[in-house]
Amino acid sequence: MGYAALEFYKIRHKKIFLMIVFLLCIELFWAFMSGSISLSRDPDAVSWEVIITIIAQMNGLFLPILTAVIVSRICDMEHKGNTWKMLMAASVKREQIYAAKYICACSLILFVIVLQLVAIVVFCQSKSLTSPIPWELLVQTAMGTLVTSMAVIALQQWISLAVPNQAFALCLGMLGGFIGITASLFPGMVRHFFIWSYYNELSPIVMKYINSSVVYVTQGLSFPFVGGLLLFSVLLYAVGNFYICRKEV
Amino acid sequence: MLIRTFSSECIKLRHSYIWIVLSVLPIFSVLIGCANYVFNRGILQNEWYSLWTQVGLFYGEFFFPVLIGICCAFLCRFEHINQNWNSILTAPVPIRDVFLAKLMMVGLLSAVTQAFFLSLYFIAGKWVGLISPFPSETLGWIFRGWVASLAIGGVQLWLSMRIRSFAVPVGVSICATLIGLGLYVNHLGMFYPYSLLTIGMGVLSQDSLAMMEHVLFYGMSGLFIILFCISGIRRLKKTDIVA
Repeated sequence: MGYAALEFYKIRHKKIFLMIVFLLCIELFWAFMSGSISLSRDPDAVSWEVIITIIAQMNGLFLPILTAVIVSRICDMEHKGNTWKMLMAASVKREQIYAAKYICACSLILFVIVLQLVAIVVFCQSKSLTSPIPWELLVQTAMGTLVTSMAVIALQQWISLAVPNQAFALCLGMLGGFIGITASLFPGMVRHFFIWSYYNELSPIVMKYINSSVVYVTQGLSFPFVGGLLLFSVLLYAVGNFYICRKEV
Repeated sequence: MLIRTFSSECIKLRHSYIWIVLSVLPIFSVLIGCANYVFNRGILQNEWYSLWTQVGLFYGEFFFPVLIGICCAFLCRFEHINQNWNSILTAPVPIRDVFLAKLMMVGLLSAVTQAFFLSLYFIAGKWVGLISPFPSETLGWIFRGWVASLAIGGVQLWLSMRIRSFAVPVGVSICATLIGLGLYVNHLGMFYPYSLLTIGMGVLSQDSLAMMEHVLFYGMSGLFIILFCISGIRRLKKTDIVA
């Protein structure tokens, strides 16, 4: 944990929080505008499920990009400052630095998810939704988003540390965002191969078209998918860690 | 001197592999757009124009502005590392040419990307079996997209020179693009560089621009280019560089 704290110390003047809040504000503004339009058309049709589904869909676009930016900033400072040799000379293992950067990125994404939950609750309360706050659904949404982000962070960290040119890592983030938002158009078998599609896939609520009308069905968190994705995250982390720790500095 | 500064920018990019980034995103846009067109052919019956809406939507609306952001951040990254700003600003080169050469390079890269996207669009159209003649408006959309990309390039270069981080200007370009979408919907797109791309490339509406709209489009694009060039050059001249 000490090394993770040092990572936070290194980024203390990098205004990462400003960047996070800026991107998050745009995402939430977009999502809540969409929710408000639905509410103005049919006040009875809007519920917590609608807002949670919109946020899950928006996360497919925004979180891969935000993750790419955060991870790139955490990793790029070592490339840009030529600090790798200095870090290697200190009494710290590369595995510990890799883990510290991963924990730092995951903590920042957790912060984003918590902010999102707070914003959802505040928005829905301000619109006077009659049903009580569905804590279980909100926690499941947060869990699904966090597990997906953990896999995406593992991949982004590997690329950001392996390739000093951050254009590739950010390009991957853009592609991830693109796949995340369009994944619902792919056949089921295809989209399960893309980690970015799980922002929407692990949402506890699924949107279905029945007789040309939209119905929101609560399906809960799919634990086999969560388990599978966690295993894949561990695999990505392990491969990235193995590659970076044996790379010539 | 501008030409020589420009050729030095070309040398800097020689082994950078930036072309991979510039080609991957248009390929992806065309592949997904094409697949969407094929699956929804019953609704999308306007042949080349319908295909354009599908392949151009994500490219013009999200990828291309961000690609420009990545190019600008990449061009400035060379100077941000190893105290290169000190070297370049003490070289016997007019500061104006340093900025303009970078903008010219952004223009060249975006022109290549646009040409590549156009050829992909043509190949995709032939591949899905479109039989109507290739619409001549496409060249206008591609050209106007390129002009708008110069305006965005001016803004992004200005940002990338100010911000030493690589990711932050790219992140800002993503946010600015999304704000641009909102402004376009509210009919204020002509006054915002990132929405000019949406208007110029006709990705959301293929209606041809009226004469006045053409004048406004080119006028506003030119204004943004000049404004940010002046601001960027002035900053390089007046402000102390943190190298």
